[in-house]
Order: sequence, then structure tokens, then C-alpha cells
Amino acid sequence: MNIPWKKLILFSVSLCMLFTQTGCWSSKEIEDLGVYVALGIDVAEQTEFEKDVNAHGGHYPKENNITATVQIVPKDSSKSNSQQGSPSAGKSYFNEQLTGDSLLEIFRQFALRRDRPLIGHHLKVIVVSQEISRKYSLEQLLDFVLRDNDIRPSCLVVVSDEKAIDALYSNDPSEIPAFYLTGLVDNSYLSNKIMPAVSLAKLDATMQSGQSFLLQNVISYKGEHKFSGAGIYDSKTKRHIGTLSQTDLEGLSWLQERPKGGVIKTYDARTGSTIVYEIKHTKGKIIPTVHGDDISFHVKVESEGWFMEDWAVPEIPGDEDYIHKLEEEFKKIAEQQVKQALDKMQHKYKVDVGGFGEKLRIKYPKVWKKVKPDWDKTFSEIPITYDIKIKIKNQGSSTE
Amino acid sequence: MKHPYTPITTTQAAIMIINYMLGAGILTLPRTTVEAVNTPDVWMSIIISGLIILLIGFIMVKLCRRFPGKTVFQFVPEITGKWIAMLISMAIILYFVVISAFEVRVLAEVTNLYLLERTPTWGIVMGFMWIGIYLISGGLNAIVRLFEIILPITIVIFVIAILLSSKVFEINNLRPVLGEGFMPVIKGLKPSLLSYTGYEIMFVIMAYMKNPEKGNKAMIWGTAIPSLIYLVTVIMVVGSLSINGMKTRTWPTLDLMRSFEIQGLIFERFESLLLVIWIMQIFSTFTVTLYGASIGSAQLFKRKEILGAMFILVALIYFIAFLPNDVNQTFALGDFLGKVSVCLFAILPALLLLLSVVRKKGGQKK
Repeated sequence: MNIPWKKLILFSVSLCMLFTQTGCWSSKEIEDLGVYVALGIDVAEQTEFEKDVNAHGGHYPKENNITATVQIVPKDSSKSNSQQGSPSAGKSYFNEQLTGDSLLEIFRQFALRRDRPLIGHHLKVIVVSQEISRKYSLEQLLDFVLRDNDIRPSCLVVVSDEKAIDALYSNDPSEIPAFYLTGLVDNSYLSNKIMPAVSLAKLDATMQSGQSFLLQNVISYKGEHKFSGAGIYDSKTKRHIGTLSQTDLEGLSWLQERPKGGVIKTYDARTGSTIVYEIKHTKGKIIPTVHGDDISFHVKVESEGWFMEDWAVPEIPGDEDYIHKLEEEFKKIAEQQVKQALDKMQHKYKVDVGGFGEKLRIKYPKVWKKVKPDWDKTFSEIPITYDIKIKIKNQGSSTE
Repeated sequence: MKHPYTPITTTQAAIMIINYMLGAGILTLPRTTVEAVNTPDVWMSIIISGLIILLIGFIMVKLCRRFPGKTVFQFVPEITGKWIAMLISMAIILYFVVISAFEVRVLAEVTNLYLLERTPTWGIVMGFMWIGIYLISGGLNAIVRLFEIILPITIVIFVIAILLSSKVFEINNLRPVLGEGFMPVIKGLKPSLLSYTGYEIMFVIMAYMKNPEKGNKAMIWGTAIPSLIYLVTVIMVVGSLSINGMKTRTWPTLDLMRSFEIQGLIFERFESLLLVIWIMQIFSTFTVTLYGASIGSAQLFKRKEILGAMFILVALIYFIAFLPNDVNQTFALGDFLGKVSVCLFAILPALLLLLSVVRKKGGQKK
């Protein structure tokens, strides 16, 4: 029989080729990776473990400036058995803390401690503590994060009242604090007390543009968290200089034309009972005016919403007159909120975090160029007038 | 020739121009233009440069039409004489080689940074170049057929990815329009013109077109589609990252993709998809330039076979690709290439056309 040698050789060579074609050079199984989903940055405070290790000579030259916490998911299942009884048993994540003076070095230091290499592709949220951001500028703290090729610029940034590690701890074992925090940010359509999400990309842009800015503040107590207010960061130093309260955020939301949701609560003038208006739709405009060297702003807001709660007993029938009266009441509250927020921005902290500069930049680019270097100071003396209109479109499912 | 070719259609010629133009440039284009313009008006620079390129393209087509069936390497001697022609041909070949090397280098940089961090660079580049050789050895028709497959995939994925980024788009980042007058737009012309290099392939493929009289049509489509893609990219990147936010990003277009996540779709992240299509685009630019250079050297040395020339050139390309020491030098090389391209393919064709008319060389003989 005539054996087709040529074909046979060709066949076997191609077969061998197949083996070299499969697989990836640097592939790693996902089970073997330490995926971190949250990063907390705190003022340096060494853990017991670190102190112990250092005492045994496990020290490397560094200054203790920051403590980084990474939240790793899922918790290594093989290890959870051996750690029974420890406080973190049964949780679906674990927090690792290390102290040092460079984020990257700290990250690489984890390689000496954990068999699973850290990967940053799934970092969802960065929590910066107020204290550390008073000491260092955000540009310094986040420089590595912005340069790193693993970490995506879509990652959110929030600031914590207390230590960042507390914000990354949860009582509920089934809950992963990182996801919980990003979930809260998504609620901004329900309440105007939540700031629009600030991603790394957005944060970088604002920092580069030289404007003062806000970061959502999170308060933690014994593993429970709540968003409350916002940290103010100065345009020049990029450091934490103060906090806006929840109510200030509400007031600010009117100026920023953004409330898509949220409520206004007030008390009926006659009966003193609670009445509540739910914001459904807002149309706002900040109008800058320039006369010579005088800059002024006028804010025009029109809000439409539903009248959703009335504690008045007996119920007052919802006729036109009554509705108009209510609209006035709500308007008063909204104006009060705006006034308070403006007062804080212009007089207490002397920073523009309401996007006024942005409006001036768009409308009067030449004027903006002139005032930009010292905008926060200029802003604190600029007269701002506002006009808020509230319209009740609907009284919910009950017509009473 | 070993591989007889069938003449390519007008559409195929346009596809070739598009695939050549879309290359490494788009990943950095928003940054390079914004750096020069410094206002959000960069999109105007893109439109104007598109029109300028079209004009240059027409001149080039006009020139090629005078010498039907001949590539630039064959007809230049008729216009200028043997020795000057030799110089010009060498310059063009070298240009093709360097651009090819540049694409390879950018590919290596980007995949190293975002896709295959620990894979050795030569591993990525080798595979890439070998496939390129395999493709080119199939001749012009094989190249064109592959491009016909690549282009629709590119456009579909690109449109999906870029539209999804509207999630982070803010129109205020694009305002004010012409806030600082028209001067910044002019300043932006230089970097945006550089991203349009690619039309020069008409110098070669006009010779193989079925209907060379429709060269202008191919030119129009070949410029219009990249212009549109560039325009959308720049608008979306500036609108999403703002000019301040992107000036510091090395690869702004990729960072745009990385700055949002979509929940609910099959994919949450789109940068890998975008990277995949841009690798295909870089591949096509690489093959076109390598093909152009090989054809050029073969014709210059009166060889029928382009394979020999190609193998030597590939080695040269590999060598040149690793000449720049770092990313910044790579970008500088790209910048330099753009300038050379303006001299070689904007000024030169006009001169050649003038010369050929004056010396009555070529022209439509029946």
C-alpha cells in the first residue's frame, strides 16, 4: 500500500502546532486570585500582626504614613474552616490591612502574606478617611490608583467620617460592604441627599480643572453605614476642609438642577401637621450675568412633583386654593435650604462646589479666564439670587 | 507574478484606505488634539482636517490617473528621471516601513498595559507579524478580502461601545463653542492631520483598481468614514472625560471605555472589545504598509516576487519597532511620521503633478 507520507507528516506537524497554540501565556485561574473590590485609605495605624512581625525582624524601610485596607472577595473557602470562631468567620469577604508610605509597595507587600495575588480589575469603591485627606491631598493619595493599569476609572470615591476600615466592615455576613456602598450611590434618584456618583475619571477631571469639589460622605457605626452629607475639598490643596450636611446637599441639589427625586417636608402653618411633597421633575438654570467687573448669578428652578403625605386631621379637601398654599409652604422650605447651602459655601468655607464657575466658564469664557485663578475667593463675594417655583401636579392615589 | 491578482473594485479600494487610516492614532488622537487646542472645540479641527485631506487625496488621484496601471514606484522615474525617482521611492518605502514598525510598537505597548501584562513583548509581536506575513503572501486580493471582513466588525463594535459611553457623557464639557475664538481650532489642525495618514496607499493601489476613474469616489469614502469615527470618538471622549480630565490620560479613548460599567447587558465592560477591534485595525495598518513597502522594494529592484523583499523588511520592522526606549519616544516617532507624511504625500504629489503637466509626461492616452 502506498502510504501518503507527505500528508501524514503535514497532519502530525499541524497536530503538534495545535498544542503550542492553546492557552494563554500569563493566564491565571480566577480562583487563585485575590480580587479586591474596595480600597480604604486611613491614617497609619499598625495592626497587632504588623507590630508582632516587625518585632520579629519583619520590617522593611518605610515611614508609616498611611494604612491601606483592601477588601477581598470571595473569602478563601479553604481558610474559613481553620478560622472558625474568629470574628470574621462566615463572612463572604475579608479585609486586609497594611501600613506603609507607598500604595504600590503596600500592595506588593501583600504578596509576601497571601498566596493569591491581588488584582484590581474589579475595584468598585475607594473610601478615603477624612483624617488622612486633611493630611495629604487627594492627588497624592490617589496618584497610584489613577496610574494603575488594573484599576478602572469607573471606580467610585467616597469619604468616610471615621476610619475607612470601619466603612468597609459590615455586621451582615452575607453583605459585601463594597457592593453595599456602590448600591447606595445608585439610590440618588430617590433622594436629593445623595450626591451624584463621583467616579475616579470624574474626580480626576475636577481635580485637574482646579475647582473645589465634593465627595459623598459615609458615616459608620458598629458595622452599619449611612450616607450623610459630603466632604468639601479645596481647589488648591485638594484637601478636606469641611463637611456639608444632608440638608446642605438638598439645598445644593436645587442649585445644580439635578433633583430627580427627594422630598420636601414642612409643617402646615395652621394645624402644625406634617405635609410632604415628593420631587418628580426639576428644571433649573443658573444664569450668570456680567456687568463690567461685577459678576452675579441668578438661579431659576421649577419643580414639579406630587403631594404625597398629609397628616392634617381632619383632612382638608385638596382644592386649588389649598394646593397653592401648600406650594408656597414648600417653596419656603426649598428656599431656606438653598439659602443655608449658599451661606455655607460662600461664607463659612468660601468655596464654590455648586458648579457656578462652570456656568461662568460656558457663558463668559473670557471673564472666567480672568477670575479662574482666584475663583473661590471671588465667588464668596458674588451676589446670588434665586427663584424657586414648586408645582404640585398630583396628589397621589388619594384625592382627599 | 506568482499570484495573479484580480483588479480591486472601488469599494475595496475605499475599504483599504479606511483600514489603513484607522490605526494606532485613534487611541491617542483626543489627547494630542486637546493638548494643542486647549478648548473643547477639537471636533472642528477634526472636520477641517478631514476636508484638507480630501483635497490632497484628489490631487493624488489626479496624479495617479495620468499613469494608469502604474504604481508610484513605476511612474515617478518617468516624471523626474531615474536618480531622483530612486530617492523618492526609497523615502516612501522607508516611510512605510517605519509606520509599520510604529504600529507594531503601539500594539505592543497597549496590549502590555491593558491585556497581557506578563506576556513578553516579543511573544505578542512575533505572532502578530507572522500572521501579517502569511496574509501578504496571499497577495493584494487576500488582503482586501480580509479587510472586507474586518471593517464591518470594527464599525459595529465601535458604534455599540461608543454609544454606551453616552452614560457618562455631559454636554457641558463640550461647551463653550469657540469660547476663545477660532485660533485654537487652527492649532489643532496639525495633530489631527497626522491621524489621517493612510490615504497615501492610493499611490499603490490605484494601479490595481478595476475602475481607476472612480478613484475620487474611493477617496471620498475612504476619508469620510474615518473622519466620522474620529469625530464621534473625540466628541465622546471630550464630553465624558472633559478636556482637563483627559490631558493627563495616556490612552484617553481606552480610558473612556474604562470609565463606565453597564449592568444588565451581557458584558459589563467594553474596553477589551474595543481593544480587540483596534488590534485588528492596527493589524490591517501593519499589513497595508508592509505590503506597500514590499511592492515598492520589489519594483525598485525590478523583482517580480515580493516575498523576498517582505522577509527582509519584516526583520527591519521588528528592529525599528524596538528602537524607541519608552512610550514618550514612541509618541515622538508617531509625531515625526506625521510630519514626514505631510511632506511626502501632501506636498510631493502636488509637485509631481505640476511637473508631469509641465513636462507633458503621462496623461490619458487612448
